[in-house]
Amino acid sequence: MKTFIIRRLLIMIPMMFFISVICFVITELQPGDFATQYLNNPRVSPEQVIQLQESLGLDKPAPQRYWMWIKGIITKGDFGYSFAYKRPVGELIWERMGWTMSIALLTIIFQWIIAVPAGIYTSLHQYSAGDYTLTFLGFIGISIPNFFLALVLMWLALQMGGTSVGGLFSPEFIGSPWSFAKILDLLKHIWLPVVVVGTEGLAGLMRVMRGNMLDFINAPFVTSLRARGLEEKDVRHHIIKNAVNPLVSMAGMQLPDIFSGTIITAIVLNLPTMGPFFYNALLNHDQYLVMTFLMFIAFMTQIGNLIADIALAMLDPRIRIN
Amino acid sequence: MKKLLVFLVLSLVSIGIFASDFVVDEMFTPEKPKLGGTLTIRLSSAPQSFNFYGTLDNAAYTIAAQFLRGLVDLNPITFVIEPALAESWEVSEDGKEVLFHLRDVKWSDGVPFTADDVIFSMDYFIMNRFAEGNEIARFTIGGELVRWEKVDDKTVKAYLPEPYGAFFNVLSHAYIYPKHKLESKIDKNDLGSVNRLWLTNTPPSEIVGTGPFVLKEYVTEQKVVLEKNPYYWKADKWGTKLPYVDELVYLVIQDDEVATAQFLAGQIDYISVSPKDYPYLKQEELSKGKIMVFKGEPVKPTPSPVHITFNFDTKDPELKEIFRNERFRWAMEYALDRNRIIEEVYNTLAVYGGTPVLPSNKAFYNPNIEGIRRSYDLKMAEQMLDSIGIKDRNNDGWRELPSGERFEFVLTSSSAQENQDIAYIFSQDLEKIGVKVHLQILDPTLVSQSTLSGDYEAAIGAFGNQPDPQLRKAIWQPGNHLYYNHLSTMNKETSEPIFEEMLEWELRIFEDFEKAQITMDQKLRKIYYDDWQALYAYYVPFIYVCKGMELSAKQSDLSNYFVNDEGVIVYLNETLFKK
Repeated sequence: MKTFIIRRLLIMIPMMFFISVICFVITELQPGDFATQYLNNPRVSPEQVIQLQESLGLDKPAPQRYWMWIKGIITKGDFGYSFAYKRPVGELIWERMGWTMSIALLTIIFQWIIAVPAGIYTSLHQYSAGDYTLTFLGFIGISIPNFFLALVLMWLALQMGGTSVGGLFSPEFIGSPWSFAKILDLLKHIWLPVVVVGTEGLAGLMRVMRGNMLDFINAPFVTSLRARGLEEKDVRHHIIKNAVNPLVSMAGMQLPDIFSGTIITAIVLNLPTMGPFFYNALLNHDQYLVMTFLMFIAFMTQIGNLIADIALAMLDPRIRIN
Repeated sequence: MKKLLVFLVLSLVSIGIFASDFVVDEMFTPEKPKLGGTLTIRLSSAPQSFNFYGTLDNAAYTIAAQFLRGLVDLNPITFVIEPALAESWEVSEDGKEVLFHLRDVKWSDGVPFTADDVIFSMDYFIMNRFAEGNEIARFTIGGELVRWEKVDDKTVKAYLPEPYGAFFNVLSHAYIYPKHKLESKIDKNDLGSVNRLWLTNTPPSEIVGTGPFVLKEYVTEQKVVLEKNPYYWKADKWGTKLPYVDELVYLVIQDDEVATAQFLAGQIDYISVSPKDYPYLKQEELSKGKIMVFKGEPVKPTPSPVHITFNFDTKDPELKEIFRNERFRWAMEYALDRNRIIEEVYNTLAVYGGTPVLPSNKAFYNPNIEGIRRSYDLKMAEQMLDSIGIKDRNNDGWRELPSGERFEFVLTSSSAQENQDIAYIFSQDLEKIGVKVHLQILDPTLVSQSTLSGDYEAAIGAFGNQPDPQLRKAIWQPGNHLYYNHLSTMNKETSEPIFEEMLEWELRIFEDFEKAQITMDQKLRKIYYDDWQALYAYYVPFIYVCKGMELSAKQSDLSNYFVNDEGVIVYLNETLFKK
């Protein structure tokens, strides 16, 4: 196991290097740069734009800029400065990490708590009214665009006299010290993003769980368990244990989604997360911020996969990772 | 007798106390205030910095304008220059020297404001070319910089290379920074270091100002809290110190729908409204009565009014010649149905606007343009096109050029909904008179890239209309880098104007701007700018479409926010209060 983990970690190094090249090329392909976006701003003279390009190093050739950036990362762990914020990008991303992680984890928990039991139920009651109803609801969740669902739910909340629309807190609680009232206020707000973002993946997870269950329900080993007189409850236990495996791999893939998958929804819901921040950085040509963020997502994907593989190995003794 | 003496002494003392307080224009305080409370408004993106001169970010400008002040102020409604940190000033006879007498005020941390702060701000921020948001271009007259000198602690003098008409207007945008807080943090060998001051992670206590409010707290991506500046130097006509509210809170809300929803939920006190939301909010006002919705005459430079223009430097030589012919541009103006656009695109919530000075701008608007402006008349448009030889020669329903080729051009527009809709309506009308238009709808950044590089045939654009035309001469004066329908009038290498390239009337406009710049006499300046507007109206280098009205809504309990007799929405954050 140890050698497996070490090997995987070592492979990540060249992988991250290639990803960094790809990230850089992609951001370079975007027409214009941070300074040129101000060319049609009458407050900014052309000399100012040139001055800005010089001071930000944007006048240097692309390979040189890439080299400067990568050198900073390797030698000093410095991912560069944000052009717009004039602060280290690592610091800026870190500031927004807390809420991003919390909302994402809550959403994943919400999805799993509903999707796994629903998947089990629908598979055990295949083609029943309950199966159809849950599947129907699931597909509605998958087919309605998140941002639209968010707007509809906010409108409904407003019509019912609610005041908790958008954001995570009422204005008076933003930035105030934690208290019982503040937690209560958070709960009034946070259900919306959790439900909105959660419904999207819900149906997918549910269908995978259902499909897996159905695969195993008719498997020979299940028949054999039944033949040996095992109680139905224990048989189900064995089916579920087997059926949950592919979901573990899916969980690993969900990790990067947490950070980047919900940009538009986060804007619509006015969440203080990384999504809107990344979106603005892209519009702004804030190159180092965009690249670092992309690198971070790539890193998270690799870590997610690694964790999923390890978890799978621990859950299923048949899997040999060597 | 003794009593009288005491009374006299007391009155003198009280006059002395209030003497330093400047009384805010009465128009902002029709209602007697109730003090205290919080004013909550929306900020459409999180600030990237709190340093006005270290960034080009609009959210940062909004916040900085609450805690900083300049030597003079511009009344946002009348556009009259008012004293601010300078109590009074004297202009020398030749118009080249201005002596400013500074007000006896304190920074929000209690330290006295002096002439040193003014000189410091000019040197390290306003006229520092390494400061990202510097104002050097506006303080350069005839290629030379304005020079500042401290006379004594309470007096500074500005030496202008030549008289400069918009000097006070430019000064009203130049905020003064606190020397005592910032000087030690600047690396004198790296003047770009000023950009790294007052960032989003700077403790608010380090950020002091002379404005009505002072920064108290910033919660990343969520809200900016400002509190009352105890040393603010303005009062109302009753002698009450401003601002009325204790706190000013900006909630960061990027999405318009969410902002409107939060306003309806009562969490925001006032908000600007888009034409598409106006009918719905008006309905809410009438049915529930909790809010009030206003439509006002446009006074602000933004949102920028839309115009249509034809590239005088376009690559196709035949098209180029046609675009330079004013009869063609007249035809295009006749084919523009402004009324339909105002009705359908703006929900009737727009006015004709000017060329481009707004009719509400008392200082510079030339009403004569209304007589020159051509109204929608397709017959006239057809006649104009016929007269320059663009006719349907083979009876296929489309007009051809004298060479026999079909007359068609590409109209580039940004994907902003209003621009797209205008482009579509305009192209429909042109089709009616046999002119084929190909619409090219692009992302806004791509549109400005192609127009500013001169790579387009016709375009729909939008540029703001600042109160003083001098501040937008980079756009409207031929020979500047933003005069994008005739870029060949400027030498790209030297940024010098090329007069040989200018058409006759462009030369006249160039002169108008030059003369108005170096005249201190505001009446004379108006005459020059009147001429410019009349020339624009006659020769239509830009066909101005319309300007959206100012739409906003407030909670009913918010006072001193109203529409005045002239139809302009009037309010100042410092004079607002809640009943």
